[in-house]
Amino acid sequence: MTADSSLPLLVRIAALAVVAVFLQIGVISEVPVFGVSVDISPLLVCFLGLLCGSVLGAIGGFAIGLLVDLLLLQTLGLTSLIFTVLGYWSGRLRELRDPQAALTPLLVGAAGSAAAMLGYSLIEFLLGVDAPVSLELLREIVVGVVVNTLVALPVWAIVRRSLAGSLPDDPRRRRRRAYTTGGLSPLSRA
Amino acid sequence: MYDKSVRRRRAVLAALVVLSLILLTAYFGEAPGGRLHSVQRGFLTVISPIQDGANKALKPVRDLLGWAGDTLHAKGQRNQLVKQVDRLRRQLVADQAEKQSYRELLALYHLDSQLSIGNYHPVTATVVGKSPNIWYATVTIDKGAADGLRVNDPVINGEGLVGKVVQVASDGAQVSLLTDSTFGVSARLSASGATGIVQPRVGDPNDLLLQYLPANTRAQPGDYVVTSGTVSSGDDSLYPPGIPIGQVTSVNEESAFRSVNVHPLADLHNLDVVQVLTAARSSLPANLSRLAASLPPGQSAAGGASAEQLASTGGGR
Repeated sequence: MTADSSLPLLVRIAALAVVAVFLQIGVISEVPVFGVSVDISPLLVCFLGLLCGSVLGAIGGFAIGLLVDLLLLQTLGLTSLIFTVLGYWSGRLRELRDPQAALTPLLVGAAGSAAAMLGYSLIEFLLGVDAPVSLELLREIVVGVVVNTLVALPVWAIVRRSLAGSLPDDPRRRRRRAYTTGGLSPLSRA
Repeated sequence: MYDKSVRRRRAVLAALVVLSLILLTAYFGEAPGGRLHSVQRGFLTVISPIQDGANKALKPVRDLLGWAGDTLHAKGQRNQLVKQVDRLRRQLVADQAEKQSYRELLALYHLDSQLSIGNYHPVTATVVGKSPNIWYATVTIDKGAADGLRVNDPVINGEGLVGKVVQVASDGAQVSLLTDSTFGVSARLSASGATGIVQPRVGDPNDLLLQYLPANTRAQPGDYVVTSGTVSSGDDSLYPPGIPIGQVTSVNEESAFRSVNVHPLADLHNLDVVQVLTAARSSLPANLSRLAASLPPGQSAAGGASAEQLASTGGGR
């Protein structure tokens, strides 16, 4: 992927990230669902990795995390670290497994949300934030993961639609190509 | 080619992780006025107008979502409050019933102490059924022959005479109220001592008529009417004297005999606890007769009880 070909994709990712983060901070965080707020930022990072691969996933995760930390006056680097790993992991999942199941985004979103929340809690504890480990905290994490999972599919659809056309290797296009470029078609084997 | 790609990917990841850790460590370690904090505040200062604009632009969306959330929350709260109201209403009804029972028992206790009702072997019973028609002429109580009740035993409550027993089963009895058309009891005006017969007033289930009074009887509204302690007919019980029946509301002078309208003192619509005087026929305490005979005009009705005492037993309405 050359710099010229990846520029539109980077612009789209940046625009999507900025809109998503502002939307998250301005609207979504203020509407509690079952007592917790939906957090689309880990979903966005996971889906970036799932669509763009591990490198762009990690870079996107780092940038989105940094933006979140800057806007919310949080500990700088905290969200970046978590989202970098998250974006990289989901990108590697695509590169290694290339999952095509319809429920893949749902599972990836759930796993990503859970990893992000647990990662936050773990690093906050490591940094010495004086918050007791309680059932309430556990409940919030579980409910947060469930709520994020519920919105994973719509977020996936929006992210994929926003990046469609600029993706380096669209899975659908790849499958189509596989059947038409010889050697891989079941018909040619027969 | 593959190795280069892998190396590049790992290098990117390592660089970003290291950068994040450096940021994290530096930010966490520096003072609030440090360089990274300043950068963060500066960024926020720059981005604030954009954020404000975005906030304003997104406010309708936020309000819409908030409205939806609030509506759902309000519905949940409403259901919760409805349940709470139901529970409190049931509790209130139970409390009111208990309060009413307590009040009636207290009134009965006062009447007992004033009229020495204990000499008539009273049996306390609870009203378990009422006649469904609008006249409320009969009620069913939860005591019967097994408790010593017999037909024609007088029935009282804390306010005064209620009626008499008309049917007895082993564990229950039917009581005919004062306002039943078949009811009649000899009574006298507490003020003048004139005697007559109290019967229900035709066409008015809430009113009684004390009739067959001598023509020269002086009566005025507010006078109390009490049982005279004599038999009005062969079938009637011998009501103990001095039990309050009602209060004169008006005087009729259109016939040879004088009659007065009497409003019953007992609230026959809200009976809960009553007493059946099971030994009324055989017992006539001398003190009751004496007290009934010495009632001061316009003052008392219940065997020497003062107007205040009557009021305390519900007789002063």
